[in-house]
Amino acid sequence: MKKIILVLFILVFNLNAKNYRLENPDAWSAKNVESAIESIYGKIEPIEGKIKLKAPKVASNGSSIPIFIKTSIKAKSIAIFQDANPESTVAIFNIQKDQIIDLSIKIKMKKSGNIYVLLEGLDGKFYSKEIYLDVAIGGCEG
Amino acid sequence: MLLLVDVKDKGGIMKKIILIFSLLTISVFSLDIVEPTKVKIKIKAKENNGIVKVKAAISHEMLSYDQAKKKGKKVNFITHIQAFVKENLVYDVYTSQFFSKNPFIKFKFVGKKGSKIKIIYTDLKGQSFYDIKKIK
Repeated sequence: MKKIILVLFILVFNLNAKNYRLENPDAWSAKNVESAIESIYGKIEPIEGKIKLKAPKVASNGSSIPIFIKTSIKAKSIAIFQDANPESTVAIFNIQKDQIIDLSIKIKMKKSGNIYVLLEGLDGKFYSKEIYLDVAIGGCEG
Repeated sequence: MLLLVDVKDKGGIMKKIILIFSLLTISVFSLDIVEPTKVKIKIKAKENNGIVKVKAAISHEMLSYDQAKKKGKKVNFITHIQAFVKENLVYDVYTSQFFSKNPFIKFKFVGKKGSKIKIIYTDLKGQSFYDIKKIK
């Protein structure tokens, strides 16, 4: 019964924005990028490129790494993953219709690793980009 | 309502509809929606050629599970950040424990000068906080 209430609640109040915390709880505990992607979008074959992803090649401090994402593709959502921390999902954006995709966030990474960005286009296709960066001092030890 | 059911009900559809509606109202009242409290968020919002650039710095510890274990504190991090202009959603992100301490976000959207931007964030405990700033 609780589940029905929850689903109805989501349907009524989140018509235009998907709640990834409630609907995809597995995504946040996934241990690697592949399983995280599968738990959110299912089995997909993304096209590589077409996204500008910028991050410093060598991050001196792993506790605050700036990431820049820029693209002209019309998107529905964007997800960011990495493979250095115990869990891989970093953030999932619901892209709004007024929004211009030129985002920047700061993340933390335990060690050197890959940052993987996946874009869900309005055309139903998926686009991806991956970069490797070195981390001098890990940022998850506290 | 019961009368309506008796008169027009043929396949039990009305009953189902009423059941769903009552469930909805119950769900709305049972989930006590917590009013967000006002805090100070550093927000800079500037308009140029119809495009608004927003920079925001939220002060939050963002303790991940590992960090909290080492420090002996409770885990707490921001799980959801939203930005509104006149009840119109312009930014929506579900975040994880791997955002840096005092998370800093930048984004752009199509908007006008003079309107107000409201940034809301919710943490793992379910508390939400907001701040409002005028777009320059």
